[in-house]
Amino acid sequence: MRHLFILLMMLFTLPSIASGGWREEMEKAFMSAPWAGGQGESDVCIECHSSEMMKPAFLAVVDEWKTSWHFQNNISCHDCHGGDPKDSAIAMSPQRGFLGTPKYLQVPEFCGKCHIGILKNYLESGHGKALKASGKGPNCVTCHGAHNIQKANIDIINEQRCSKCHSYERAKIMKQALFLTEKKIGELESSFGRLKKQGVFTEEGERTLFSTQAEFRTLFHTVDVSLVKERSDDFTRKLSLIEKEIQDTFVELRFRKNFSTFMMLLFAGMSVVTLLLLKTPRD
Amino acid sequence: MARRLKDWLEVRIGLDDLIRTQLTEYRVPNTINLLSTLGFVVLAGYIIQVVSGIFLLIYYVPHPEHAFRSVQSIMSSVPYGWLFRQIHVVGSNLLIAALILHMLTVFLMGNYKRPREMTWISGAVLLLLALVFGLSGYLLPWSQLSYWATTVATSFPTAFPFFGDFVTKVLRGGENVSGITLGRFFALHIAILPPIFLSLMVFHIFLVRRIGISATPFGVEDEEKRPLAQYIKKTYPDGNPFYPYFFQKEMLMVMVYCTVMFFIITFMPTLFLPEAANTPADPFKTPAHIGPEWYFLAQYQMLRLIPNKFLGISLQIILVGLFLSWPFLDTYKEKNLRKRPVLRGIFLLLLAIWVVLMFWGR
Amino acid sequence: MKRRKFLKAVLAIFGLTSLVSFAYPLLRFLAPPSGEARIKKLVIEKVEVPIGGSKNIVFNDMPAIVINTPERGLIAFSRVCTHLGCLIEYEKDKHQLLCPCHAGTYDLEGNVVSGPPPKPLPRLPLKVEGENIVIG
Repeated sequence: MRHLFILLMMLFTLPSIASGGWREEMEKAFMSAPWAGGQGESDVCIECHSSEMMKPAFLAVVDEWKTSWHFQNNISCHDCHGGDPKDSAIAMSPQRGFLGTPKYLQVPEFCGKCHIGILKNYLESGHGKALKASGKGPNCVTCHGAHNIQKANIDIINEQRCSKCHSYERAKIMKQALFLTEKKIGELESSFGRLKKQGVFTEEGERTLFSTQAEFRTLFHTVDVSLVKERSDDFTRKLSLIEKEIQDTFVELRFRKNFSTFMMLLFAGMSVVTLLLLKTPRD
Repeated sequence: MARRLKDWLEVRIGLDDLIRTQLTEYRVPNTINLLSTLGFVVLAGYIIQVVSGIFLLIYYVPHPEHAFRSVQSIMSSVPYGWLFRQIHVVGSNLLIAALILHMLTVFLMGNYKRPREMTWISGAVLLLLALVFGLSGYLLPWSQLSYWATTVATSFPTAFPFFGDFVTKVLRGGENVSGITLGRFFALHIAILPPIFLSLMVFHIFLVRRIGISATPFGVEDEEKRPLAQYIKKTYPDGNPFYPYFFQKEMLMVMVYCTVMFFIITFMPTLFLPEAANTPADPFKTPAHIGPEWYFLAQYQMLRLIPNKFLGISLQIILVGLFLSWPFLDTYKEKNLRKRPVLRGIFLLLLAIWVVLMFWGR
Repeated sequence: MKRRKFLKAVLAIFGLTSLVSFAYPLLRFLAPPSGEARIKKLVIEKVEVPIGGSKNIVFNDMPAIVINTPERGLIAFSRVCTHLGCLIEYEKDKHQLLCPCHAGTYDLEGNVVSGPPPKPLPRLPLKVEGENIVIG
């Protein structure tokens, strides 16, 4: 009996040692079946544009996109450029709504398909009016790039970028007007991060923050300093409300920690006393 | 006052006799140690789970659209809801750890041997039931962690050629994990498993008392090797009374258990609640790393190592079979592990492999 | 003997304290929710929402909108887009609700017509009482 057991044990340990590395195979076997939910869907755009036959300029696009904020949010080629990501034969056909590369003047409307609020403010702004009137002016790509678009931050406004057409002075004033609100937004984002690390569910607060920040940044695209300054108080008020909720949550977390520390000490105390009772002889 | 109550009970149920036979004159061997209290710790842990679970039940909603929200509401708006939820989450893991520890010490002391085979088997089944408790409870918060860990766990039966897919479908109530799965796992967790677990536990404790608690290997040896010709209850006339001697030891270990629980709740509140546990379930988004709870990790890793699905699962089943029937495989009368180097070696090897696999599986 | 008595007394105190430390939270846990949980109703006048138009309101700290549609009469929705939380706007001419952040579009039932929103827009209960509209 024992020998059979030993034999079986060896039977199981040897293959395990010998076949380390089958992990990916195994995961594929269990994960690719229908129950795994939409895993690894193929995207023909990516397939062609990252293959060897593509010209270098287009190859770079895929890599740039992979570093972008769009990629992190599952926005891929067809979401902006149209076309069919599943069928390589008609992937770039106008029948599937393929738009190709937008011309410089068409870029605002191209991005504005989704970012409508920003498009509206941009078209009313000095930047937008300049572009439509003279064909010269910044479009979305000028500040945000085309494929490696990152999360918006205040340092997109910098001397190098903003002095291409006019002096940096104007841009600097705008940056200063935005500065405090943006700083607060950053602080709140990191507070939410800290709360999340402590196990708090922050989705609702983060939504309110996103909504406020999105509205603020959309407003910026009017590049109207007086408007931004006028509305800043409003935004600051909203942000303060969020901040208060976050602070309340931190206070609550501290209370919980104190309470459970107290309970732990009680039980530790009882363990010690029981141990002493055990050791004390009865007479 | 207490005296009058005692007298009232005495003339009805013979309270004094009950106390004498079950508590004060029930004697345990002098060599009994703290490790023998682990069974009671498991019982206490189970009671803690039941009580905290019942309180959670008051606010939890077992529907995929409301489950996550109800748990978050327990954690943030219900007064002290966080306390009961944390007790339940940390407690479930501690309970299984205590169960495994109890099993290991029973194994080490050879207390699965005749005449205690049934005790071992009922205990082994209890361990398996506890694992099912853990699996079914894991889905209930309906978070990303819950959903995907359950998806992986319920896909294992598909390794079997003919009935595998059917078993998975029955478990899930469909092709994928859905609200139907939640319904059946919820029923399993709160209504089907508890009475089975409880009755098996009562049976297990009955066996321990009826057969007589075993002396450790360093105690009375000859008695254990006598031929099993008739029922003789194992007693210790020179031993210490169960109450208060052993009872105090049991209480000490329960206090230690609770201290550990609150230590984790205070200093490591997110130990069993990673970020994925705080994200609502999304059937269309598979998280980067899916893994089961720690007590399944070793088995999971073993499955990942063995190249053939069917072989992997069959091996697991064989191992479980060996585990359950161990008293019939090892019929050597010698209980003292010190005198059995081969078994000792195998035991240590298996334990080491289990621990290595568990860490590897992370 | 004195030592035992002392230890027993200490144990009793600890034990009692733990019992209370569980009993109090339990009572609070089981107590019915306080009045704050009760939803307050919001009343506005019918004249504030002309036919074909809309009005932005705040209902229980949540931005909301009341629309007076020609086809369906008065309806109320939450303005919080189910995608990332931006506030949606009513497009009179298109009879649609549009989110300016990522162009999420909802119809007048609250269902998602296009864009990234994962769930329909929550409707708010609305009753017309005489000259007033009662939401909630």
